[in-house]
Amino acid sequence: MKSLTLDRASFWYAATQSPALRAVSLDVAQGEVVALVGALGAGASTLLLVAADLAPRVIGGRLEGSMTRRDRSGIVLPTPWTQISGMAFTVWDEVAFGPANLGWPTHEIARQVNRALERLELLPLASRDPATLSGGELQRVIIAAILAMDPGLVLFDEPAAELDAAGAAMLWQLIRVLAREGKAVLLATSAVDALPDVADRVVWLEDGAVRAVGTPDLLADGAACDAGLGTSIATVWRAGGLPAPYPLTVAHAVRGRP
Amino acid sequence: MTGVRLHPFTLLTIAAVLPALAWILPAPDGAAATLVVALVLTLTPGAKLTPGASPGNASLWSFPGWRPGLVRLRTAVVTAAPFWLFLLLLHDVPTTIAIGLRVTTMVATFVWLVAALDPARLVEAMVAAGWSASVAYLLAATFSAVPVLKARAQRIVEAQRCRGLSPRGGIPARLRALRALALPLVLSALHEVDERALALETRGLVPGIRRTPLAPPPDPAAERAARWALLLVCLVALVRRFIVQPFS
Repeated sequence: MKSLTLDRASFWYAATQSPALRAVSLDVAQGEVVALVGALGAGASTLLLVAADLAPRVIGGRLEGSMTRRDRSGIVLPTPWTQISGMAFTVWDEVAFGPANLGWPTHEIARQVNRALERLELLPLASRDPATLSGGELQRVIIAAILAMDPGLVLFDEPAAELDAAGAAMLWQLIRVLAREGKAVLLATSAVDALPDVADRVVWLEDGAVRAVGTPDLLADGAACDAGLGTSIATVWRAGGLPAPYPLTVAHAVRGRP
Repeated sequence: MTGVRLHPFTLLTIAAVLPALAWILPAPDGAAATLVVALVLTLTPGAKLTPGASPGNASLWSFPGWRPGLVRLRTAVVTAAPFWLFLLLLHDVPTTIAIGLRVTTMVATFVWLVAALDPARLVEAMVAAGWSASVAYLLAATFSAVPVLKARAQRIVEAQRCRGLSPRGGIPARLRALRALALPLVLSALHEVDERALALETRGLVPGIRRTPLAPPPDPAAERAARWALLLVCLVALVRRFIVQPFS
């Protein structure tokens, strides 16, 4: 079942002439992880804002085409320190901020908050002041805060930017778990090496338009490598002058299969 | 007040009544009295003595718990000082003292309120009292903005120092440092407002919501009565000041 549908969606920021999104059509089904890749300014973040119903409703601008959501969404933005509520003096309260705004009963809030903290391995930090956390810890708090609201559609904008390798690995596993639970996940990331294990589909955006859609194998494509969107091993393989098709992952290269 | 956590509405009432009384009561005596109360208040939040210690047997500065209070006191005095200078330029000495005491009361009370008022408790209290969560957040964010901007300004100053700009020296040097502080501070604050608005929207802080109070602060009957009493005192002083016995 489709959780999000964009039908020829074009979006213009306020006071701009050229669109940030150009006739983008995209579906994200429940239980599916779709990754958006592209160069800076390709439109991935804008697409997430449209999918979150923040653009144009909150930030202004103009949308043509349509965006339809079946589920409530939650979006994780790339800078965690601008996403804290500023109204909580413990991590637990920070994560509970969203569920409380939904008007849930306190026992349900407590259940969702504890579950989210456990998933992000934040229970030991539950009583800490969010202002004293590192960037990576704060990013995990924000992700927990969104998950505690139990959104059906989860939108991630560069979620691993502040995370160390272990934190990023935990996040990618968590995203797969969310998909298994039936949530739709739309993810914009430059961490393309993680996508073969995380994404069901990859959407390559270029200058606000969809250039290609496919399985993560797309990231071993010669054109993707030329655009700086290939996985590390595919890029190295190509740079070394080895013949196509290029391996998508190190495991593929070791096994001798593309 | 040490160790006592007053209800946010009580703190707001005190913060409203003190400046009001400063302007209603005759100067200089009335305004001086309210100023003394306000300055003592700036010392109170978090001013907890170490068990077994007392200011009588050691230097005041040796008690870490007093330092924040003394810093707040200094902040209030330093912030109010320019007002005294301008008043002195514009008025005679008695008028300067009369208005200066009142303005300093306002400044000291605000400095105390920002330190004493926990924005999260204010939101909880307002939501429990039936206020809209977004209105409560707006009010609470006003108070939390001060320490946030102060911390950011400190970071910007440190960054500028690393790049060789000294905030010390003569007036031209200080003006240059001020410009190097103000521009990034304002621009980064404006940028953050955009992102924070998006984040709050996605976390459910939208007009018309019925937020669940997580831990509404207790509001004892004695505090409620004290609040009404403070407002009554203000009203009585107002009536006395302007109707019954007008002062010059």
